[in-house]
Amino acid sequence: MISKIPVTVLTGFLGSGKTTLLNRILSENHGKRIAVIENEYGEIGIDNDLVIGAEEEIFEMNNGCICCTVRGDLIRILGNLMKRRDRFDYIMIETTGMADPGPVAQTFFMDDDIKNALSLDGIVTLVDAKHVIEHIDDSDEVKEQIAFADVILLNKIDLVTPNALEELEARIRSMNSVAKIFRTQDAAIAMDHILNLGGFDLDRALEVNPKFLEPEYPFEWSGVYQLDEGIYTLIFNAGPDPTINVSLLRIANTLNESMQTTFNSAAESAVLAFSSDETALKPGEAIQAFGKWYQLQLNTNKSRFSLLIDQPGIYALFTEHHPDEFHAHLENADGNRLQAVITRAYKPDHEHDEEITSVGITTSGALNLDRFEEWLRWLLATKGADIFRMKGILNFSGMTERYVFQGVHMLFDGRPDRPWADEPRKNALIFIGRNLDREELNAGFNACLD
Amino acid sequence: MLGLDLSLFKRDVLNERWNISLEEHIIDMAWSPDMSHLVAATAEGRIILIDNYGDSAAYKQIGEHALGANSVSWRPDGLQFASSGQDGKVQVWDGVTGKLLQLIDADNDWVAKATYHPQRPILAIAAGRSFKCWTETEGIIYESADHASTIADIGWSPDGSAVAVAAYNGVTLHYPVQQSEPRKYQWKGSSLLLTWSPDAKYIATGEQDSTVHFWDVNSGTDAQMSGFSTKVLELSWHSSGQWLATGGGNTICIWDCRGNGPTGREPQYLRYHFDKVTQIAYQPSGHYLASADIDEFLLLWEPEKHDKIISATSLSAPATCIRWTTKGDILAVGQQDGVIETFLIKNAHV
Repeated sequence: MISKIPVTVLTGFLGSGKTTLLNRILSENHGKRIAVIENEYGEIGIDNDLVIGAEEEIFEMNNGCICCTVRGDLIRILGNLMKRRDRFDYIMIETTGMADPGPVAQTFFMDDDIKNALSLDGIVTLVDAKHVIEHIDDSDEVKEQIAFADVILLNKIDLVTPNALEELEARIRSMNSVAKIFRTQDAAIAMDHILNLGGFDLDRALEVNPKFLEPEYPFEWSGVYQLDEGIYTLIFNAGPDPTINVSLLRIANTLNESMQTTFNSAAESAVLAFSSDETALKPGEAIQAFGKWYQLQLNTNKSRFSLLIDQPGIYALFTEHHPDEFHAHLENADGNRLQAVITRAYKPDHEHDEEITSVGITTSGALNLDRFEEWLRWLLATKGADIFRMKGILNFSGMTERYVFQGVHMLFDGRPDRPWADEPRKNALIFIGRNLDREELNAGFNACLD
Repeated sequence: MLGLDLSLFKRDVLNERWNISLEEHIIDMAWSPDMSHLVAATAEGRIILIDNYGDSAAYKQIGEHALGANSVSWRPDGLQFASSGQDGKVQVWDGVTGKLLQLIDADNDWVAKATYHPQRPILAIAAGRSFKCWTETEGIIYESADHASTIADIGWSPDGSAVAVAAYNGVTLHYPVQQSEPRKYQWKGSSLLLTWSPDAKYIATGEQDSTVHFWDVNSGTDAQMSGFSTKVLELSWHSSGQWLATGGGNTICIWDCRGNGPTGREPQYLRYHFDKVTQIAYQPSGHYLASADIDEFLLLWEPEKHDKIISATSLSAPATCIRWTTKGDILAVGQQDGVIETFLIKNAHV
């Protein structure tokens, strides 16, 4: 059996840096001979004799079923490239800015010759960190390019503020929770982050703590404050809710360069610390930096809560709702308003409730093969148009191997993988799509367990 | 292990004559009408002119198409031949010396095929999405509107009055000689190759979605045959127009196209390929059928008599192109590894 040639697909809007990245890939000394298929009439500055230009040709198969669209141009060109496969050992496809990655990915499932000779190593999506916000709400293409990605490069980070970058990354993370996200300037990135990802390396994709496969943080905002020893006041006006959950955590002694990482891991601790039995506090009562959750009972007008700080340091405050909704702020003992040095919004605001989300399911227990197949067939037949990608490792009753699968819309490809080693047998799968119903997916999946 | 025991078959039917190695995937070949030359095109783009001396051969590279060649075709008088490629070019060559005579620019598009009229020096060109016709004296004499995709295949009707064009959304019939309105045989799918029945009654197409269509040329109705295990890239008509052989998997089907056509009739099955069939070609007389597969076998059948193998031989790589001479006594087999081998058929029934 000849090994399959890996194929990387580059997507991203015009101006996001695809051509810059492609030129980097071609000029980097990685020892690979790369054939390039270009749908965008970009300027490849590198002397590479296997650059093939082609216009996108979308073919609907099976009498117009939207889920069975493939890319005719890729079938033709890739089919031909396979006739001279000793000339190169890697293929890059650069799509147009407006390309829907669906038909590209589906081509790798639908055409037998391509399926047998090539493997879709990864979809790399470039995002223009400055301008994407202008398109993300009304462009299906941007959303789909993000949803389909295995790797997302937030490019041109030099043009945006750290806060804007945080918000953007959080937003992208809420749409696609398994993609690796890298921040880049001039599309500078180590090649092993984007090439030879090993396809769809499930272990890597699913190594993310399953809790974070759920983009549902129990808080919408957090801010980092530098505080001295003393008593501070957190002031709320009346807002959309009569209560608000907050948590305070001491995360460092002083501000330092790795603050962002520290802050992110604090957010993870805050998620893990969250439980339904918060300590209820009335106005006038005190919040302490134990990392536990308080439920603040708000008055109809101003409500003041004390913050007791017994040692100077860097503190992270997490709030269930965005403080702006309550015109909330923090004051020191002198009545001066304090600004957070870093803030992060976990849902930028309510209107931005993403239609595209990821739903991760991780459970122990063994699956009944028949029931699972029946459920999946039903799911893909009814919801396939809205499911962009899915991946998973499954534990079937009576099977000694792990079962791995991936899919695009209604197309599904699964096979037994290596045997389960000395590890807990479990199921881990992820759906990325539009209007996914988390409860329904969970219930449907759980019903397939023996 | 599954496989063919070659010792079971008559060994004296397929007689190897000469073989050469070009070391690149053979993508197309064509015999000159007088069989003195065989021209070959490789996936890398080389155009090779081979002098056939019967028992031996001499060959030379006469030119190339950057990015890869796609097709070769002889002018009916045998004095020139044309090649096409992914470089958007059609080149016309002297059939004896191999000298480049013409360079036709097809607007930088993928030229899937350039093929001569069956009787006259008119060249039909699949230039990207557009279909064009060219003559040496007048240049481009016909140019169609764009088809729904890059053209996958074109073919002259047996009398040369029409050219069928296969692309996404079915087949279009163009009349480049009388310059009348094209006729559309619409179907929502991607047609990959087409072939006219020799009696011009049908155009058969092999499809991306693993079906074969039979278009009734006069009525414009079609019959769709399904059940193939993969997309169908192998079609060959019997010279009478009564039978069509199809690949698209391990089994060769021979469809009965007499009378009301293949609909509702069980095809004849030729089943001794143990891996995917890569090439099928009826001998011009229709007596023998040659076929090849991924397992590197070349088989010879007499489908009208029975569904058993007449002769078989093992190649050094899967065949990518098999071409009978017009007379039908010699078979040229081009392979994935660049080897071209010729066989003389004993008692050829020509």
